[in-house]
Amino acid sequence: MRRLWFIVLGFLLVATGLVVAGSRGFGPVVITQEGTQQIILRFGDVIKETEPGLSWRIPLVDEVKTYERRLLYLNTEADVIQTKDQERIVVDNYAMWKIDDLTAFISSFPRGMQQAEKQMDRVVRAGVREIVARHTLTEVLTDKRSEIMEAIRARVADSFAGTGIAIHDVRINRTELPAAIEKNVHARMKTDRDRLARKYRAEGEEQARKIRAAADREATVLVANARGEAQITRGEGDAESTRIYAAAYGKAPEFYAFVRSLEAYRKTIGEGTTLILSPDSEFFEFLGGSQAGADPR
Amino acid sequence: MARDEEDPSIDAKVDRSVRRLLTTLGLVLVVIAASAGWAYTGFPGADLLGFYQLKPGQSAVILRLGAYSRTEPQSGLRWHLPAPFETHDIVNVSEIMRLEFGIRSGDAAAEEATIHESTMQTGDNSIVDLGFVMQYRISDAFESRYGVAEIVPTLRDAAQAAVREVVGTMTVDGVLTERRGEVEIESERLLQDIVDSYAMGIEVMQVELQQVQPPEEVRAAFDDVVAADQDANLAINQARGYENEVLPRSRAEAIELTEAARAYRDAKIAEARGEAERFNALLAAYRAAPEVTRKRLYLETMESVLPNVEKIIVEPGAASVLPHLSLGSASRGGP
Repeated sequence: MRRLWFIVLGFLLVATGLVVAGSRGFGPVVITQEGTQQIILRFGDVIKETEPGLSWRIPLVDEVKTYERRLLYLNTEADVIQTKDQERIVVDNYAMWKIDDLTAFISSFPRGMQQAEKQMDRVVRAGVREIVARHTLTEVLTDKRSEIMEAIRARVADSFAGTGIAIHDVRINRTELPAAIEKNVHARMKTDRDRLARKYRAEGEEQARKIRAAADREATVLVANARGEAQITRGEGDAESTRIYAAAYGKAPEFYAFVRSLEAYRKTIGEGTTLILSPDSEFFEFLGGSQAGADPR
Repeated sequence: MARDEEDPSIDAKVDRSVRRLLTTLGLVLVVIAASAGWAYTGFPGADLLGFYQLKPGQSAVILRLGAYSRTEPQSGLRWHLPAPFETHDIVNVSEIMRLEFGIRSGDAAAEEATIHESTMQTGDNSIVDLGFVMQYRISDAFESRYGVAEIVPTLRDAAQAAVREVVGTMTVDGVLTERRGEVEIESERLLQDIVDSYAMGIEVMQVELQQVQPPEEVRAAFDDVVAADQDANLAINQARGYENEVLPRSRAEAIELTEAARAYRDAKIAEARGEAERFNALLAAYRAAPEVTRKRLYLETMESVLPNVEKIIVEPGAASVLPHLSLGSASRGGP
């Protein structure tokens, strides 16, 4: 009974001791943390690539090396690249990659991560240069952006085939036009805007003039119609009055002529008029003598 | 005797081992309770026994011997096997984090980088100056720790790539005005797709455009377009004003003309009637005594006309006198 207890207790103590030692990198137990992968080497030969969890090794003989298992981020240098249509463009990329075959990785990059990153920077930039050069500026900037990024990724993945590196994604995170071209674009944008501004102003003026012209026309027509109608109305007045006059004067045309003549004399003969009269006139009928007037009768 | 001695000794042995077991259990309980108390008050030694505390909004990723075991989402006092058998990793899952891009902080040193960050090319081969904010939170505690090595730089570059890709499909006018919301939604969707493909346990909550404007160099020209639009509206409004002024005026004039004509007509008729009446009256009188009336009318007229007139009375047949008269001065009268 007691012996059993001791055995169990002893086993537990040894296990704990091994795990504690293993967690500090000593002894036969190798503990691989999530996010890392380890490789166990015996005199340079690969014995095992570890998964997260517990592995075994021969202490002091087997060497353990630790690498990232996570997806790794690499921002490559921005480059000025010439496109197919001879435009120049600054392209900045980043790549997401991971070590998916540790054995291949350590033989391809014996000096480790830094060496891998350096090479990746070079390969990604070369890939970008190559793929972008096959497309026009517009394609790179807009139409075929994702297609181009996928082509670059495939191209880069190809050149890392067999090195233990998996290229997950290569993406253009920034494009920039070189200063001179940017200046051209600004100039063109400005011209575009100026054209638009002029167009808007001209269209505004067009509308305004249309409105004014229509208003003027309407006003003119309105007045002219009124004027025409007024003439008709006046004509009515003239006609009616003439009819009335004619009706009245027609009853005694001779008397009308007499009365109307007298009235005309009153109006036309006034101050400043010199009248040459004959003593024979009706007015002087009695000037020569009271009988004189009887003669003509 | 032997049996007598054996029985109590077995009993005593059982008794003893039960007591020992209970004591051990009791001790373990006391230790657990004590370290729970420690952990709760934040005593540093408590984690040696596997106790840890989770605040609201935190999750713990538990690794057993380095490998993923479980995620503990419940806040409070928690326990796992003591290290190094199990370890925990606390992640703030509900915290909303924020990354800014190309937003001018007024910091002169950062200005250059900001310009680079905010300058984007649009689909119509123009340039737009665009700053934005991205908000995200951790949706998967385990992935956020063990999916991607550098979360923030990765997110920064992915967000820029997404927004630029979306802006690249639109015109400068679209980005500046009516399609802004579309840029936000599309970028958010694209960015979520990208980060999902990285399995980094991130949820993109929002992509929000902040400063969207034309590049500084052409801003005046863009403003001028807006001004031109306003000018055009102003011109049209002025024309409408003119229209509103001119039409009533001409209507008024038309009415004046019509009314004047009516007045003329009515007056003319009235006058005619009056004169006709007068003539009729006169005619009636004349018919009563034609000779006398005729004479009277004639003489009355002469009487009223002649006093103001220069009169020259000439014998008939003495017409030769006429040329000697100074007709000009006479007809013009005195000064």
